[in-house]
Amino acid sequence: MNPANYVILSAILFSLGAIGVLVRRNAIIVFMSVELMLNAANLAFVAFARMNGNLDGQVAAFFVMVVAAAEVVVGLAIIVTIFRSRRSASIDEPNLLKY
Amino acid sequence: MTEVNLGEEIVFWISGGLAVLGALGMILSKKAVHSALWVALTMINLAILYIANSAPFLGMVQVIVYTGAVMMLFLFVLMVVGVDSSDSLIETLKGQRLVSIVLAIGLAILLIAGVGAGLTDVVPVGLEEANGVDGGNVEGIARLLFTDYLIAFEVTSALLITAALGAMVLAHRERWLPRASQAELSRSRFLGAGHPGNLPSSGTYARHNAVDTPALLPDGSPSELSIPGPLVARGDVRPIDHHDVDQIESLGGGTK
Amino acid sequence: MNILAAVGIEVPFTLPIVDYNAIAPLLILLGAGVVSVLVEAMLPRGSRRFIQLFIVFGALVAALAWIFTITGVRVITAEGAIAIDGPALVMQGAILVLAILGALLMAERSIDPSGDAFAARASALPGSEDEKQFTARGYLQTEVWPLFLFAVSGMVLFVSANDLLLMFVALEVMSLPLYLLAGMARRRRLLSQEAALKYFLLGAFSSAFFIYGVALVYGYAASTQLPAIASVLTAKPGQTSLALIGMALILVGLLFKVAAVPFHQWTPDVYQGAPTAVTGFMAATVKIAAFGALMRVLYVAFGGMRWDWVPMMWIIAILTMLVGSIIAISQSDIKRMLAYSSIAQAGFILVGVIAASPAGLAGALFYLIAYGFTTIGAFAVISMVRDESGEATNLSKWAGLGRKSPFVGSVFALFMLALAGIPLTSGFIGKFSVFAAAIASGDTWLVIVAVVASIIAAFFYVRVIVVMFFTEPGPQTASVEVPSVFTTIALAAGATVTLVLGILPQPVLELVSNADLFIR
Repeated sequence: MNPANYVILSAILFSLGAIGVLVRRNAIIVFMSVELMLNAANLAFVAFARMNGNLDGQVAAFFVMVVAAAEVVVGLAIIVTIFRSRRSASIDEPNLLKY
Repeated sequence: MTEVNLGEEIVFWISGGLAVLGALGMILSKKAVHSALWVALTMINLAILYIANSAPFLGMVQVIVYTGAVMMLFLFVLMVVGVDSSDSLIETLKGQRLVSIVLAIGLAILLIAGVGAGLTDVVPVGLEEANGVDGGNVEGIARLLFTDYLIAFEVTSALLITAALGAMVLAHRERWLPRASQAELSRSRFLGAGHPGNLPSSGTYARHNAVDTPALLPDGSPSELSIPGPLVARGDVRPIDHHDVDQIESLGGGTK
Repeated sequence: MNILAAVGIEVPFTLPIVDYNAIAPLLILLGAGVVSVLVEAMLPRGSRRFIQLFIVFGALVAALAWIFTITGVRVITAEGAIAIDGPALVMQGAILVLAILGALLMAERSIDPSGDAFAARASALPGSEDEKQFTARGYLQTEVWPLFLFAVSGMVLFVSANDLLLMFVALEVMSLPLYLLAGMARRRRLLSQEAALKYFLLGAFSSAFFIYGVALVYGYAASTQLPAIASVLTAKPGQTSLALIGMALILVGLLFKVAAVPFHQWTPDVYQGAPTAVTGFMAATVKIAAFGALMRVLYVAFGGMRWDWVPMMWIIAILTMLVGSIIAISQSDIKRMLAYSSIAQAGFILVGVIAASPAGLAGALFYLIAYGFTTIGAFAVISMVRDESGEATNLSKWAGLGRKSPFVGSVFALFMLALAGIPLTSGFIGKFSVFAAAIASGDTWLVIVAVVASIIAAFFYVRVIVVMFFTEPGPQTASVEVPSVFTTIALAAGATVTLVLGILPQPVLELVSNADLFIR
């Protein structure tokens, strides 16, 4: 087996993530798709690290995980905020018109 | 592990297949909770693939950070937002879905063809040497983190502070009134229209002893106070089976 | 296996060499950000605003002053991760000055009777009793200041990152606080929160493209450092398909940040929904940071693939200029109109980028600086034009505004003329220098399209002036609130620089052309 298969697998996962972002309308699922794309990038980094014979790719994947974790916190906080505001929509509607 | 041996090939096809299955499941399942579980499947399989690719440290971090923390956070938020939040299948823009799929498939073909063409005759160097310099994979990564990637490593702290701060700002509800004391609480409970004491517990029968079974009042009617409101809202309350009640009472020889 | 390590003897660890003098501005900003978080945690509510303002302005001024002491530094430091060179210093300086103006707008508290531009408590539900109580008690969300400082440090790092991975981290350090700030407006909160969500989701999507591109380039070059990528490109010029796709994906991520078509969809909604002070700050500084990174990636790492990226950028530049200008015409909301205008302006700057010459780089830098000051001034005016319900951004409410308040009207007209590129304003010199550079590089057709787009764009800029000055003010017309010293300084600085760069552009032109090229 050619180790490039790992990269092709990552390309497939990346594209599936992109489809998810473009097709789904639920913010949480869209965000999960973005996470899937980041994971695909990590798989590519790890596979390339082995092909290139240096650890930089693994360090890169590590950084992507840290960034993704921070991004998840911020993103989910925004999503929860919107959800809470929307749930009380009856209170909001006049607000939107007033301001 | 420079060459791909048969064992790894088998692992690749199984885990890789499951990872793609998880990704497809995420796109296709209607409920967000199902999507999250499918993604978790993909992530666990990716962890296996990392370990197969001589990245044991990342494999473990993947399990801990992604499946352990990130996906659980997703599930947690889904529980807050409502488990049955699902997509409306109505397209807001006509044909947008079709165009998106065509675009993404184009992207996939481009990526796969490009990667395939770029990597026809690769001989992987392998990581034996790189891992050996410092005595192991974790040590090697650590050395790089504190030398070549020092600045990036330090700057991620700003990222983590931002995340914590952002979550605090958006989600932490401050109170503008001092917290009510116990005396005030009990006074308001007795003066107000609420129920002063404990609510009645749910019904207890020989067959059902569960929160979804209402308790019976002396006149035989179910007590609405004895079942949690959300169950009523979901329509999950068990109706009183009078035949059962009669049977139980006849067994005990008691009178109504 | 290293024998020393195998028997448990410590392998000697050499510390990385970091030129702390060259990266001091970044460290000042990050340090100030951390201190500012501690202030939030430790100090009582009443005293926070004053101390935060002190920290923010102190840090920005100190970082700027430090840059003036290291103008001659040209160094690649931190094991090759950071490049401090002429363009980086110019852009860092410009970002810091514009950040000071942005901070002035964000600190304004006199325009809105109930407080500053941010929600009293972003966590209180819109329209709830909590929100009313917090507003009535004059609470201020002072957490915006540490977020602001982190955003600025991300930008300062972004323009000097010499390593694609560090660039990715800097991109996120810059963006995450901006996503949050965009969602914290005091008025029209639902709109603001939706803007934050949209900005966040599309931003995360684009950064996923960026990092996947980095992965492919790493696969090709075995390194993420820009000069190393360039040398691998010259060493094995044959099989570049990985590098090519990787570069395209990286460009998608960066072009999203500069708001180039077709990656611009977030711009109008975010510009409209975010608090006006944040919009002004972000419009001016993110554009500089993103263009800085874009040019560094294109010139330093992929200079050898120029013939691959130039056609791609041609198409994107043309689309950006035309789509931005044409859609702007049909806008009735002034913030949305400026959003499309910012898209069109990104197209004009791309013309300078495509020229890929020293003159093109200098022109693009000049354009970015001029555009930044004009934009921040324009948003300062928008934040002042209000009616009883808050900011009056609908163009119909601007009818006759120039007659009602001639001074503010004329200043806004000046900004519109500058954005349109009329002579004697900074916009004209900016357009002139990028177009001249592009013609010198042989991109005459591109310049012709750019000139056509400028004429289309001039239409809607002039339309605003006509609406303001050549219609009678009616009962609908908004009024101009008198701001405090904060907005006044920002507005005065924006207007002065716009005018001075139009009449006496020489010092700044010399500054940008003496900035040399990107260091390799």
